[in-house]
Amino acid sequence: MTVTNEMGSADAALPQRADVVIVGGGVMGLSTAYQLMRLSKGRLKVVVIERSYLVSGASGRNGGGVRMQWADRQNVELMMRSIDICKGLAQELGINTWFRQGGYLFLARTPQAEAQLERNAELHHHVGAPTRLLSPEAAREIVPQLDVTDVRVATYNPDDAVVFPWAFVWGYAAQAVKRGAVVRTHTSVERIEPEPGGRDGFALHLSTGESIEADTVINATGAWSVGLNRSLGIELPNHPHRHEIMSSEPLKPFLDPLVVDLACGLYFSQSTRGEIVAGVSMPSEGDDADPTEINLGSSMLFLGRLSRALCRVMPIARSLKVLRQWSGPYDVSPDGDAILGRTPGFPNLIQMCGFTGHGFMMAPVVGELVARNLVQGKDHPVLSRWSPGRFDDPSYTGRGETMIIG
Amino acid sequence: MSHRVFVCRCEDVTTHEIEDALDRGLSTVEEIKRYTGLGTGPCQGKECMCTLVGLLVSRGLADADAVQPFTARPPAEAVTFGALAAVPESPPEKGGAS
Amino acid sequence: MASGILLRRGDPPWTLDYDGRSIPCAPGENVAEALLAAGELGTTRSLKFRRHRGPYCLSGDCGTCLARVDGEPNVRACLTPVHDGQKVVSQNRLVGRGPDPSALADKFFAKGMDHHHLMVRPRALNEIMKEVARNLAGLGTLPDRVDGRGATFRHEAPDVVVIGRGQAGRAASQEIRRRGLRCIALERMPGGAKHDDDFDAGVFGIYPDEGLICAAAVEPRATDRIFTLRPRHLVVATGARDPMILIDGNDTPGVVSARGLVAAMSRQHFRLPDDVVVIGPDDPGARIARGLNARHLRPQDVERIEGSDAVDHVRLTDGTRIDASLVVLAPRPGPASELARQAGAPVRWNGAGFEVQREHPGGRVPSPGPWTLWAAGEVAGVPTGRSAHDGQVVAQALCHREGAES
Ligand SMILES: Cc1cc2nc3c(=O)[nH]c(=O)nc-3n(C[C@H](O)[C@H](O)[C@H](O)COP(=O)(O)OP(=O)(O)OC[C@H]3O[C@@H](n4cnc5c(N)ncnc54)[C@H](O)[C@@H]3O)c2cc1C
Ligand code: FES
Repeated sequence: MTVTNEMGSADAALPQRADVVIVGGGVMGLSTAYQLMRLSKGRLKVVVIERSYLVSGASGRNGGGVRMQWADRQNVELMMRSIDICKGLAQELGINTWFRQGGYLFLARTPQAEAQLERNAELHHHVGAPTRLLSPEAAREIVPQLDVTDVRVATYNPDDAVVFPWAFVWGYAAQAVKRGAVVRTHTSVERIEPEPGGRDGFALHLSTGESIEADTVINATGAWSVGLNRSLGIELPNHPHRHEIMSSEPLKPFLDPLVVDLACGLYFSQSTRGEIVAGVSMPSEGDDADPTEINLGSSMLFLGRLSRALCRVMPIARSLKVLRQWSGPYDVSPDGDAILGRTPGFPNLIQMCGFTGHGFMMAPVVGELVARNLVQGKDHPVLSRWSPGRFDDPSYTGRGETMIIG
Repeated sequence: MSHRVFVCRCEDVTTHEIEDALDRGLSTVEEIKRYTGLGTGPCQGKECMCTLVGLLVSRGLADADAVQPFTARPPAEAVTFGALAAVPESPPEKGGAS
Repeated sequence: MASGILLRRGDPPWTLDYDGRSIPCAPGENVAEALLAAGELGTTRSLKFRRHRGPYCLSGDCGTCLARVDGEPNVRACLTPVHDGQKVVSQNRLVGRGPDPSALADKFFAKGMDHHHLMVRPRALNEIMKEVARNLAGLGTLPDRVDGRGATFRHEAPDVVVIGRGQAGRAASQEIRRRGLRCIALERMPGGAKHDDDFDAGVFGIYPDEGLICAAAVEPRATDRIFTLRPRHLVVATGARDPMILIDGNDTPGVVSARGLVAAMSRQHFRLPDDVVVIGPDDPGARIARGLNARHLRPQDVERIEGSDAVDHVRLTDGTRIDASLVVLAPRPGPASELARQAGAPVRWNGAGFEVQREHPGGRVPSPGPWTLWAAGEVAGVPTGRSAHDGQVVAQALCHREGAES
């Protein structure tokens, strides 16, 4: 058999110059690469440069949750579109994504959380998302194993889903390569420089000693974006935060929705392979250390806290066993909104970061709208709202999405 | 029974699935693990990872002096959520039961 | 059902119930041994090809002996002591309801199964495939009892923690105690504790950032016990294990690992049948075959192992057929270095596994944790025969560093 390198490789040949170089081969970078190739009908020269292997970043370490239950109208609408794309994405990309619409079930135990869920349900109703406000007893009908003592109210949206995240990354990569994009793995961009000679492009210097020029650069390095931006003297307020997660031994299907307990930030779902995949909010100590250092270790503190929360919410978990714990970087933006669009002072450098704990679910729709903007010049309201320049705007309020978990 | 040579029995990964991953251009232990599922089942690689590495080394696909295993993460042995929930938020500095 | 592949020495006083069948067992045996002695070799079906699978490593490492024991799913039969009236149920297979149609997968996907690209299109078929896959995946079903079994917690801060009470670990802990240091020695295989500080618990996590070593003993019907330990020295003496040998049919029930079988035989509950075959390179295969009074074959001479629900015979490359009811795989053992790696120990490939790299002399290992890390015995590549001596040498170096008197 011949080696196809269908998802790119460490020795993919680089052109001297590309129309767009995307730094970072996570789900954001690759969904954008695919959409750029699709919408330009293969006319654009697009190169993706990934430091390690595909799925090595947050896109390969997340919980695979996909929901339209947000507090902010724009996020609800974006995610309705993203879920619509996800429904047919396996067929579009030609790879199993194991997209399963078991819904998301949110539990509120405090008056504040109760009010939040009530506001959400009203908003969702208004924009046509099928979210239902439920009594604790009705929540137990959906997941009979729950202990709903102290639960005041719940919301359930049957269209919310879980997926197998790695397949998205591989599928986008393969489809981008098939349409002519170059995906270079195991190579990092060490430094970006504005191109000399008055052009607005860039020269990128790689760990292999090579360099490549580009008219447009997209910084899709997620939690690693701070370091790359600093090489151009750009300071944005996003910073990495280690988010830990774990999976249990595989069990026969018993849990349809992803359950979130807003009181402690516990979330858990069951994957197609049968594992319970779960995370919980943790203190953010150490986050203000050097934002270019990313800790991907595991802690007992997390395992204990998660287990106490899980055994309380779903007591039958007590004699179930843990299979593996791991961690990945959230790329935290201070207002919970992504940092997306042209960089102040560098119009041809596009930021695509700050997606905190929900970049995976947004990648299908965000890749599409960024590519539409670049290829067809189409605007979208989030492009101004999420603009990297917003933090310097005098009218900036710092208010953003409030339904962030973890 | 069909003829199969298993590398990872938990996830039913045979030499055929490994070849397929190699043909697609995946070449490192971490990549092959993720693409085939090898080492992601109940044994967490205890039975299969070294067999995979041996295979890669014998074919010249990995350098015996440089190759590294995939990340070791807890738990290495069975532990229940119930047992873990019995650990206090900050374990005491001195010995003793609680 | 096959005949027993472990033969009893006497009449066992107890019985356990396995899928409705009454199976004799005796104090001191584990569930896997009792099943193998009764000819019940297959305890489950495999994930994709739905082949028969059963106990293989007999030492808690391979995960294919998982069964439902006393109402709890996914219990390692080979680590679980038997008791009279124990209820054991196989998982992930149909029992006593005629042929299992899912078994056709092995024939249907004779060439292999690419689950990423299986039945992706059309969408309607994909939806059905996902539901079928979800139900075939997963192992056990939820526990019978909701309230779990209760758990006790204990924290200790001894001078030394030794992980493993094999030859190296036992020698090390004896020597350390003789010199007056407090040493907790942990072992996951139940039984064999001789000292108050010998804990029967498996170390599941080493957390250098938190300075913690965590261990647990979880057995159906007993109270869970969990330990956190904060020693000044950590000695990893976790030994080695047998990697899989690449031979056609190496998953057939009745194929077991040499290490697990030799350890089981040393407990003297059973003897072996006459038709045992050991497959492995001359070292250690020939030696192990002699010890078990079995026939030795070299892997390169074996075409395949044949049998569907149990081993029937071994076919050699020259066409010879050798009848066998028990096939023992005896590869060169690979160091069991997972825990050392969790502690941050550097490892190097030694042709069979990853051995811990020690600083000479004395066996110290660099580690980011707040302890001094040591490795002793096979985990550091020391041959079995020299492990006990090595444990002693490491203990002496450790005590010397502590200034402990003998
Ligand atoms: C534990 C966890 C759980 C999560 N759960 C969910 C969830 O349920 N749902 C959801 O929607 N989101 C979730 N998220 C968030 C989601 O995973 C991320 O928002 C998303 O994957 C971000 O994608 P990305 O492509 O921007 O980043 P990444 O996937 O991190 O990709 C960035 C890539 O850039 C590469 N890179 C970095 N620096 C360089 C360089 N200098 N040169 C070249 N390449 C470089 C990195 O190697 C990396 O592969 C979770 C995150 C974590 C950590
Ligand atoms: S884990 Fe029990 S036989 Fe391998």
